Amino acid sequence: MQKLRYLSTFGLIVLVALFLTVSDVKAEVGVTDTSILVGCSNSFSGPLVYPGTQLVNNGLKGYFGYINAQGGVNGRKILTQFYDDGYKPQNAVANSKRLVEQDKVFAILASQGTGPVMATVKYLTQNKVPLLFPFQGVPLSGQKTIFTSFTPYPNQSELVVTWLVKVKGFKRIGILYQDDKYGYTFRDPGQKMLQKFGLKWVAAESYKRGAKDLSAQVAKLRKANLDAVLLVATPPPGATFLKEAHKQGWKNTRIISSGPLTDEKYINLTGGVGEGVWGLSLWPDPVHSQDPAVVEYREIMQKYGKDRDKTPNRYSLYGYFYAKLFVEGLKRAGKNVTRESFIAALEGIKDWESGMIPPVSFSGTNHLTQNSGFMVEVQQGVFRPISGWLTLKEGTLVPLK
Amino acid sequence: MQLSGKWKILSWTGALVVLLIMPLFLGKYSVFLLSLLAIYALVSLGLNLLMGYTGQIAAGHAGFLAIGAYVTAIFTANFEWLPCPVTLLLAGTISGIIGFLLGIPILRLKGFYIAMATLAFGVVVSEIILQWSSLTGGDDGFSVPAARIGGFVFDSDFKLFYLIIPVTIIMTLLAKNLVNGYIGRAFIALRESEIAAQTIGVDLAKYKTIAFAISAFYTGVAGGLFAYLITYLSPDAFTIELSIDFIAMIVIGGMGSILGSIIGAVILTGMQQMLAGLLDLQVLIFGLSLIIFMIFMPKGIVGMLSDLRERFS
Amino acid sequence: MLLQVIFSGLATGSIYALVALGLSLIYNTTEHVNFAQGEMSMVSAFVGFTFFNMLGLSLPIAILLTLLISALLGIITERLVIRPAMRAPHFNIFIITIGVSIVMKSLSGFIWSHNDYPYPSIFPDETISIGSATIDLIGLGNIGATVLLMVILYAFFKYTRYGTAMRAVSESQNAALLMGVNVKQSFAVTWAISFVVAAVAGILMAPVVFLSTHMGIVVINGFAAAILGGWGSIPGAIIGGMLLGVIDNVAPLYLPSQIKNVVPFAVIFIVLVIRPKGIMGMERFTRV
Repeated sequence: MQKLRYLSTFGLIVLVALFLTVSDVKAEVGVTDTSILVGCSNSFSGPLVYPGTQLVNNGLKGYFGYINAQGGVNGRKILTQFYDDGYKPQNAVANSKRLVEQDKVFAILASQGTGPVMATVKYLTQNKVPLLFPFQGVPLSGQKTIFTSFTPYPNQSELVVTWLVKVKGFKRIGILYQDDKYGYTFRDPGQKMLQKFGLKWVAAESYKRGAKDLSAQVAKLRKANLDAVLLVATPPPGATFLKEAHKQGWKNTRIISSGPLTDEKYINLTGGVGEGVWGLSLWPDPVHSQDPAVVEYREIMQKYGKDRDKTPNRYSLYGYFYAKLFVEGLKRAGKNVTRESFIAALEGIKDWESGMIPPVSFSGTNHLTQNSGFMVEVQQGVFRPISGWLTLKEGTLVPLK
Repeated sequence: MQLSGKWKILSWTGALVVLLIMPLFLGKYSVFLLSLLAIYALVSLGLNLLMGYTGQIAAGHAGFLAIGAYVTAIFTANFEWLPCPVTLLLAGTISGIIGFLLGIPILRLKGFYIAMATLAFGVVVSEIILQWSSLTGGDDGFSVPAARIGGFVFDSDFKLFYLIIPVTIIMTLLAKNLVNGYIGRAFIALRESEIAAQTIGVDLAKYKTIAFAISAFYTGVAGGLFAYLITYLSPDAFTIELSIDFIAMIVIGGMGSILGSIIGAVILTGMQQMLAGLLDLQVLIFGLSLIIFMIFMPKGIVGMLSDLRERFS
Repeated sequence: MLLQVIFSGLATGSIYALVALGLSLIYNTTEHVNFAQGEMSMVSAFVGFTFFNMLGLSLPIAILLTLLISALLGIITERLVIRPAMRAPHFNIFIITIGVSIVMKSLSGFIWSHNDYPYPSIFPDETISIGSATIDLIGLGNIGATVLLMVILYAFFKYTRYGTAMRAVSESQNAALLMGVNVKQSFAVTWAISFVVAAVAGILMAPVVFLSTHMGIVVINGFAAAILGGWGSIPGAIIGGMLLGVIDNVAPLYLPSQIKNVVPFAVIFIVLVIRPKGIMGMERFTRV
């Protein structure tokens, strides 16, 4: 028995060593004459599995499939490598180290989730690996190697609050937020903005991620006699809120959804009680929009999308759009692309027309893709624009495009 | 077939040398992964001391891991001069005290009720971390400074390896001594039959709470190492799911076995890492392997090995 | 406002209660703790969804078929993964059911996608007013259906021959065997019934929490409810579930947001410490 135990201990160590050595075969650098490798850690299980699979399988893989079918960029096919982190920060760290040190990717593209992304920022920055367009809304600025994607949550909050006060003349505004970073980055900047107008959140209620019942929160917010309530939630609780508000017969308050919540799924889930809800939209409607760029997105997704579920949605649109922007940078960086020349090429992008969001410009100091949104209203189950594209410049609303 | 003392020492030294020189031949990611395996092995060991030896089901060890991790992070950030072994010891001790305190009310509970109470404990810990943001950073996360002893800074995965592996080895040896001693025998007596253990004079309350405290201590130290290795903490990291992963580790490796704890941690973590590239297929294969392991190796891998040995001798 | 919130809590609690009920059923006969109870509801709800949404069957027929298939799935699960491990420690079965829950969730994602879907209720989507409170018929229906199911099951175990036999199995498998009870068959029947209870829970729950592969997480609340009410007690499961739902809902009404989220867990912890056997629980004797 003793001997067996020692042998198995020894065997175990040798086995681990072997497995690690074998799996550590040195790959070529991220760029070869015929290929370029990018990847990320993302949610293929866990709470964000739907956004994760849609963004990667349809969005990124779909658009890169389309580009590769046309011969790639500068003669290089775009290869991808993805790992599942299940929304756990420690797994995201392990996966990112694997991507950088073992797979030797050129860049990390569109990883997802505040916790997992934040956990990898320090490591990627130290190793000068570009972190491109992570899918999260907490501001990340001041790093040469990081480019961020959609309008950051604080900016969204300020935009909506300013619009409600300045354009609509609302005074009594409340908020329902998810009790985490996502919620706080709406609540706190919104409060500051309101104070500039001599106002404050008249009522602020929160709910725990995954809550099934919001009747108490609805009852309390309703009692506060509000002009408007900002809803900072994910689609299922967002829809639960609308159903509960409808059930309790709450009518005289306008409900406004945050950027991430303004999603076709959220309105579908309410089963028709979402009529008249307003929202901040960061994208054209992926399902109904007839803009040529969105039509093209739907066609490419149908043909090249890799997920079993190819229904158009804002997550695959996200992946598609940022894959496209990545390809644009790659084209501009030319044949002899390096990480430095790629970053310089992205910084050289001025007024790039995507046909989806206002023209994109980067510079040496500005690495933010989008800082805008437009207001929508639900009419017959579809988000209809009720404003043009807006942005906030030094506290005042400025129309775009 | 007992190995003589000389050979025993030689084979252990050989294994140790192989382990310690491994980083020289491995890539950075592999060194990182080995450290992570060691940390989880430590948790698994701590959990096995509680579950495998005293039979109390604990489903909240992610909570102790979190306590150890945050204590280490907070102390390292605020008292830079503290040498990291002291910080780790503090992390283990604080976690151990909390484990001891938790063990007292749980004394009255049996079997699955303990699982539920500890699960609730795990949830409460991560909620406290989220809400007590002035101390923990809440959902902003906590960026952990590098471990240091005097002027030496453990600022790379390579250096950290030589902090994490020795700590793991020392604590494994300690655990081995513990289970072979009086406490270990008392634990096993408890597991086999509480009433019988009482009649032979084992103080039930004392040893149950001791088991909780020791288990929490091990997990707390592991949490400290976890903080140093991952360098970023947030409440998202310490979920019910992670607690359940720890349970799966010891069941797969072998309940009531130190070697089993380590094997279980290596297999489970190794499997998750190896399968991570299979994306959505990964969880499916993981779930299937849990079922298959349990049906075909009900006593875990160590149990199966010793059964096999009995059959051939 | 309080009345409104309590009613809403009862409606949510009825879902927890049904999960707790399924857990108690399996525990009573087999002494196994089933982690996959929530995923069983999810799979059944998706099966129903396939029948009426994709195949266009009417709701009652779709539900009937779903219940039948669920019973079958229960038997298959028992046969495939529980029976081979019947002689193993109960703890191993717990790990197996964790495996089952992971497999079910993952496979459902492959079949139906991880998206969220709206789900029709068998009860009318209308509200009635009682005093200051608005009562929705879906919630009321869910509460009624839960209580009804509890009464049926309680009667089954108390008064029918088969039910008594299954209770005998839980007392002592060997004794039951000697008395001529088919232990294996009881196991299979228990899993079938429990899967059907899960299906009812799924069909009642999906209109409220929406249909998605994440639905199964409700099993944690189910555990809490079962513990609160008394592990293994059928009326206890219902009382525990309803109570948990009400506590969960009333807490945010009066407490600051920093502590309201831990209230359900704190309550469970306190109940466990003060009265470990739960509200309706019975003392079980352990042999030396």
